Formats: sequence, C-alpha cells, structure tokens
Amino acid sequence: MGVQATEFEVHSESSDEGVVAKEVAGRSPIQIVVDRLKSDKVAIVCIAVVGILLLLGLLAPVITRLWGVHADQPPTKNAYDILTFDGYPKIGPPFNGFIWKHPLGLEPGTGYDNFARLLYGLRTSLGVSFFATFFSTVIGVVIGLVAGFATGWLDRVIGFVIDLFLSFPFILGALCLTPIITQRFATNSGALAKAQVIGLISVLVILGWMGLARLIRGQVLSLREREFIQAARVLGVPTRQILFKELLPNLVAPIVVMVSLTLPAYVAAEASLSYLGIGLTGVPSLGQTINNAVPYFSNYPLYLWAPVAAVAVLVLALNLLGDSVRDAFDPKTRR
Amino acid sequence: MRFKKPMISLVAASMLALAACGGSGTGGGNAGGEPSVNTKDLGNTGDGTDPTRKGPVSIAGAKKGGTVKVISYAGLNTMDPTEAYYTNTSSILSGLVTRSLTQYVYDPAKKQMILVPDLATDLGKPNSDFTKWTFTIRPGVKYENGDPVTAQDIKYGIERSFDRSTFPEGANYSNLYFLDGDKYKGPYKSGDNYKGVTVKGNTLTIQMAKPFPDMPYWGAFPAMGPIPKGKDDPAKYRQHPLATGPYMFQQYTPEKTLTLVRNPNWDPKTDPGRTAYPDKYEFNFQTPSAKVDQIMLNNTGDAANTLSYDNVLAPDLRQFSTQDKDRLILGGQPCTFYWAPDYRKVKSIDVRKALAWAYPYRDAALAAGYIDGITRIFDQGGNLMPPGLPGRTQYNPLPGHQGGSTDPAKAKALLQKSGNMGYAIKWLFATDDPNSVKAKNVVSDALKKAGFNPQPVATTVADLSTVREDPNAKINVRSAGWCSDWPSGGSWFPPVIQSTNLKAEGLGSNYPVFSEPSVDKKIADVQTKPVAQQPAAWDQLDRYVMEKYFPLFITGYGGVAMMRGSNIQGMNDDAVFGMPTWKDIWVK
Repeated sequence: MGVQATEFEVHSESSDEGVVAKEVAGRSPIQIVVDRLKSDKVAIVCIAVVGILLLLGLLAPVITRLWGVHADQPPTKNAYDILTFDGYPKIGPPFNGFIWKHPLGLEPGTGYDNFARLLYGLRTSLGVSFFATFFSTVIGVVIGLVAGFATGWLDRVIGFVIDLFLSFPFILGALCLTPIITQRFATNSGALAKAQVIGLISVLVILGWMGLARLIRGQVLSLREREFIQAARVLGVPTRQILFKELLPNLVAPIVVMVSLTLPAYVAAEASLSYLGIGLTGVPSLGQTINNAVPYFSNYPLYLWAPVAAVAVLVLALNLLGDSVRDAFDPKTRR
Repeated sequence: MRFKKPMISLVAASMLALAACGGSGTGGGNAGGEPSVNTKDLGNTGDGTDPTRKGPVSIAGAKKGGTVKVISYAGLNTMDPTEAYYTNTSSILSGLVTRSLTQYVYDPAKKQMILVPDLATDLGKPNSDFTKWTFTIRPGVKYENGDPVTAQDIKYGIERSFDRSTFPEGANYSNLYFLDGDKYKGPYKSGDNYKGVTVKGNTLTIQMAKPFPDMPYWGAFPAMGPIPKGKDDPAKYRQHPLATGPYMFQQYTPEKTLTLVRNPNWDPKTDPGRTAYPDKYEFNFQTPSAKVDQIMLNNTGDAANTLSYDNVLAPDLRQFSTQDKDRLILGGQPCTFYWAPDYRKVKSIDVRKALAWAYPYRDAALAAGYIDGITRIFDQGGNLMPPGLPGRTQYNPLPGHQGGSTDPAKAKALLQKSGNMGYAIKWLFATDDPNSVKAKNVVSDALKKAGFNPQPVATTVADLSTVREDPNAKINVRSAGWCSDWPSGGSWFPPVIQSTNLKAEGLGSNYPVFSEPSVDKKIADVQTKPVAQQPAAWDQLDRYVMEKYFPLFITGYGGVAMMRGSNIQGMNDDAVFGMPTWKDIWVK
C-alpha cells in the first residue's frame, strides 16, 4: 500500500499551491534579505524612524509653512521685539512656559524658530550625506573593481593611491581644504553657499571613498579566480562586461552594507565639521545649531538638546539599520 | 585707538561690553536688578590731571605676592611700544611693562582716570601757543637690564614713532603734529638726527609743526617712551621690549602665552602711578570665549586668581549679574562702532544714507551677541564722537532717524530716487565665528528688504583685520570701531577721516577711505584754534562732516563688562582703554 502524496503536504492557512510553490522554488538573495529584515523588529523600527526623519526633512518647507514658523526670520518685524536686552526670547523657553506656536523655542540672538531650523537642518544633513554616500560609493566601487581585476602595475598604483588617501587624517584634511574653497568663492555670496555644500560633499567623498574601494578590491581578488570568471575570460567576454555584469551582482551585499554604514558616518561628520566652524554657513545645519547652542547650555538646555537628539537619533537609527542589513545578508547568522 | 584685535564691531567673537559706572555719578545698577550703564558718559575718560603726583604708590591693605592669570580670546597684535595701538596691547604695556612721559592712574573717588607724570617730572611745559613742549626727565630710572634710561633714549623712541612703513599700525600723531612730521621718516630711513627734538642733559624739548595742546596725552602712549638704540631691531624688539615698568617679559609666544615677572630694576620711588604687588602675570590667549565665561563663573581653584578683560557673553550675563555682581566690572569705554562705506566706491550720498536707514542696528547687535544698552548703546545720537567727550552735543545726522532705528521703506525711497535699486553691498564676515555668521544673515536679510543686493564676503577670524586693512580688498563697506586716544575730538577726526597716502601708508585708521581736501583743511583749522575753543569746534566739525558728506554711520557706542576671580583685588575699569586698572591689582 502506497502513501498518498497528499499526506505529505503541509497544510496552512494560505492556498496550497502558493505554499508548495514557495517551498520548492528558490528565492533570490535580495528576497531572502528582505524577508529576514521584515521579521527583525529592530530593523522595522529603524526603517520607520529613518523614514519619518526623511519625510520631515523633505517636507521641511511645507511643514514650516503650515505651522507658521520661519527658519530665517523672527516672528515679529524686528528681532529686538521678541528678544530681551541680552538676547533671550521673550516668549517660550527657557524663561517662559511652553507654547505650541514655537514648540522648541526661539533661537537667542536672532529670534529664528528652532523647530523650523531643525527641519531644515535635517534636510541639509540628509541631503549632504546622501549625495556624499552616493558619490563615494560609485567612486569606491569603480576603483575597487578595476584594482581587484587588474594585474601588475595598475593594481599596484591604485593600491598605493588608496593607501595614500587612507593616510590623510580626516579632520586635518577637512580643515585644510575648506578655507581654500572659502577663499575661492569668497566674493560671490550666492555661489559661496552652493560652493560650501559642494565643497563639503567633495571633502567627505575625497576622504571617504577608500573604505569601499579596499573592500571591493578584496572581494574581487577572491572572486576573480572562480570558474565562472575564468570561463568568461576564456570566452573572450570584454573586461567591462565581466566587471559590471558578472562581478558586480555578486558584490551587492558588501556594497549595500557599506552604504548603510557610511550614511550615518557622513551625517555625523557633517555635524562635526559644522560644529568646528568649517561646515556650512549659508544654510541651516544641525552641527551649526549645536555650535551656537553650546554657550547657552546652562540657561537654555532645550536649545542644545533638540539638535543633539536629532543627530543622535538619525545616526543611531541608520547604524542599527546597517547592522541589521549586514546580518540579513550574512547566511551564517541566525536571528 | 584700535579696539581689541581682531574684535571689531560685529566680528567680535562675542566681545560683549557692558558700560556702566563711567564718568561722573553713581552709574551702575537700577531697581530692576538688571545691570545698566551710564550711557551718557561712555566717552568721558576723565580729563582730570595731577602734575604734582609723586611715587611711591601704596594701596591700603594690599598684600605682596601671588600670580595673576589672565585669559582672553584675542591675541596681541604687536608688543613693540612704538607700534602697539590696540586697546589690549597699549594697556598691558603701559600698565605693567613700559613707561612713557606721562601715564594714567585710576581715581576711586571720581571713578575716572587722571593724567599724572611718569618719566617726566610733570606734565610738560608748553609755550604760549602750544608749539613747543619741554619735559624734564627724572633720574634714577633703569631698564630691566640695569642700563640707565636717558633723555636721549626717549628722543630715540620718539624718532621711531615717525616711521609709518616699519610700524604701519602705530599711531601717527608724531607725523601729524611734530615738526617735519610729514618729511622725517624715522631713524631707519632718515637717520638718527631728527631736529624737532632736542636733548640737553635731562631736558627734552619738542618742536611742533602746529599747536598741539594734547601733547601730555600723547605722552602717555607707549610710543613716547625710551628705546635703547642698538638693541631695537624692529623684527625682534616686539618679542621682548625692554621693561622700564614693574614687570618684564619672561616668556612670550605670540597669540599663545605671555609671562611677566618682576623687574628688579624698577624703583617704585620714581613711579607716581604703578604698584607691583603680584609676583607674576600669566596671560593665556586664544581661550574660547565660552570657556572664559565658564572659568570665571566657576571661580574654583586657579580661577579665583584669574581675570579676563574680555566682555561677558550675552548668554552668561544673567548669571553673573545675579550671583556674582561684585566680580563683574562694568565700565565705560570711549569707543564708537560704525559702518564705513568705501568713499571711493560708494560715491552717492543717497546710497550711504539709504544704508544707514536699512541697517538693522539692534537686531544685528543681538545676533552678534552684544547686549542692548550695555555692550551696544544706541540711544545716544549719531555723532562720531562718543557720549561724554567734552564739547559733544548729541544730534542725529540723518533727519528723522533715531539712533538704532531701521526703516527699510525710507531706504528704498532713497535708492529709487537716486536710481540705485539693487545696489550691491559687500562686507566682510568670518565663517568660523558663529556670531559673525548670525549677524551676517540678519544684515543680509535687512539689506535685501530695503532694496540692496547684499553680497557678504567670506573670510576667517585670523584674516579679517588684514583683509579689512587692504585698500584693494573687494569690499565696499568696512565695519570698524575706534576709541578715543584722549578726551578730545583731536583723537577722532584726524585718524578717522583725514586723508591718508594710500600708497605709502595704506588706509591707516581711515576706514571710510574718506578724502576731501576741504575737510582736511577744516581739521587743520580746528587744531590751530585756542585750546578753550577746540571742544566746541570739534563738535561743529562732527556735524558738518556728517551732514554734508555722511561718510559713515554709527552702529553703536560701546562699554565693557570684564570679569575677575574672587581673589583679584583692585581691578576697576580703566576707561581710557576699557581694560583693567593693572596698576592697582593685587592678589588676596
């Protein structure tokens, strides 16, 4: 007597065909990762937090207009109408109670709204770090691919260049490059604001592409001896096709992981540089707000804590997300 | 005199000044508990004199010993006595290190400074029309190395003060008033044989090119002191000027630290003004302003023996004035801060007037961290001379304009009338100073509202005073501050608006780069008037120049709010500089 095949089926709530199809067919690596992330509570929370902050930053002009606050104007015609003789706001924190109109209070000395400046600062931080991450990823991947695949003098030269850039101390490099940019565009204030943003992104990229390049180079070095690559070479596939069509898809994992860890690093770097006074002066920036808030710390702590919390939450969420992504990509971890 | 380097007006990294208790009267305090300022007497540095005062000076209850630590954000521009012309360098040199013909001492009863003799035996003897001054130099004064100070040394020091190319930042009163001041170029270029000063034994006689009744005040400058010929290489002397005062240089790293120790060759019997109670002074520069405030507020450990001549920051004023009012030294400072459009570039008087209507006085001051009514005073008119200067009558050169008020509509009207809508205004700001950036944003905003095209030019704190001093910099407005060298218009109009030879000396302290031969002539006329008529004449000149040419507009007058640790005694405001009264300080 034979056993009915149906007895071996696993019954579940969903339709039988769907369950059978899923169990038998394979899933692509991306699908596996997504599934694992979906079941990781920390990742979900982080994605939500980052998503909210992203939305807040992108919609900064809309939100501030709806709330009726300004990041670059006092609420009254003149700042001195809303500030005391020594620069503290006459309404709201720190010396008067909480008001809904200005939930995070007004900035001392100028009367600008802190909530609006926070939103625009988020926008700046996210914008700068996204662009910096994008460019440094592209440059790092391309150079890493070429360095890993090439042999002989090209590999050595690129390796030397990577080591050279790695040896520059980041802060000193930024401190040196920024005044040069300032000098070049000093006389054109409209261009200065743009130049500062481009300059900051350039500094972050120039001093940050090496990590990914080295990683990719290492991966390519090990992959290039595999049979499918050797087969492609024997078949005469052009090098560019090998690099971008054969190798690159296998490198998605380290690239995604690196991106998710680079993003928060750049956010923190932008805030640090602005705090040091070599960041952006033409647009609101979280680091600049922190720098302004430090002297007011003992009397007006909210002014300092708001941007510090914003930077901390953003960097923490991105870092935890990056950790979860890395774990999701790694087949050996079990969560 | 130049305000502390590089703190000028808005660029001051929160150099807040609280002016109070200046001049006459009780000054200070009011019922509300807010610190306040006697704003009418900011420029009243006191015109008292005492030609008969003699040393030694002793302070009742003072103890010898202790080290005074001094912290400040600004560095020292140059400590060569011939060139020192900032409030901090001049005050430190003349209070502690170098002696001159005359000096100032603090009068606690009147809370004012009094001019008394120093190396001279009195305040000089003029002839009837003040074209010849005779000083008798007292004997027994020595340099720190034991060499005697002679009248010949003082002659050499005076000769050096003519050299505008070796000492471009020094004061130029010798060139303006002394015989051949326009021809003699100092000992390095014209030789050590200046005819205007003659020495006979202990007597020094100075011949003037025009009447100079204020010579005793000029005599208080470090530049009017002895310099030993042969040991005075300008490149090196600024690192270690030879001391004739109670303290001498032990160690000096420019922009970082300065240590002064007792000068064993200073004889208090020869000095009618100075004392030497502390053993040592340790200066630390480039201390960030927020840190200065925290150290002074905490007052623990070494901080109790520390003082700072920086002004309290706006965020910290409340704490000081409620908890530690007696450690806050409020005082006057005879300084005016102004915006000077470049007279060569901004040719239309309507544009300059529109700028004065458009400028956001109070908002910019608040954004830069000043304190309305204490650090920046607006309600005292628009004269170039600050309140309290003899002869000054308050007025507003712009009809209808109250000091500190802003009216963008009027500015727009003026621009439209003269066809200058969208006129580009280029001024300097420092990207690495958050207060400068905040002020820049506020000013840009206001200028835009008034129909200008604001194009602020970026620079850094370190470069700012150098770029500003360059006549070819790509800016058309300079933000500046000027302090009286002595209580007379004679120390305002010649340095600030008299024409300079741009190629030879740059713009000196003529920040508006103003040049009108008729005004130069009027200045010369006032200087030849009888002494009693000069205060009123300067006041009239003030009105005339401001109403006819409007070369600059006042962004506020200034005062000081300095801090001391609880063990520092004898520190008051030296209203001549807005610096501490070094000569009276002792450590508890």
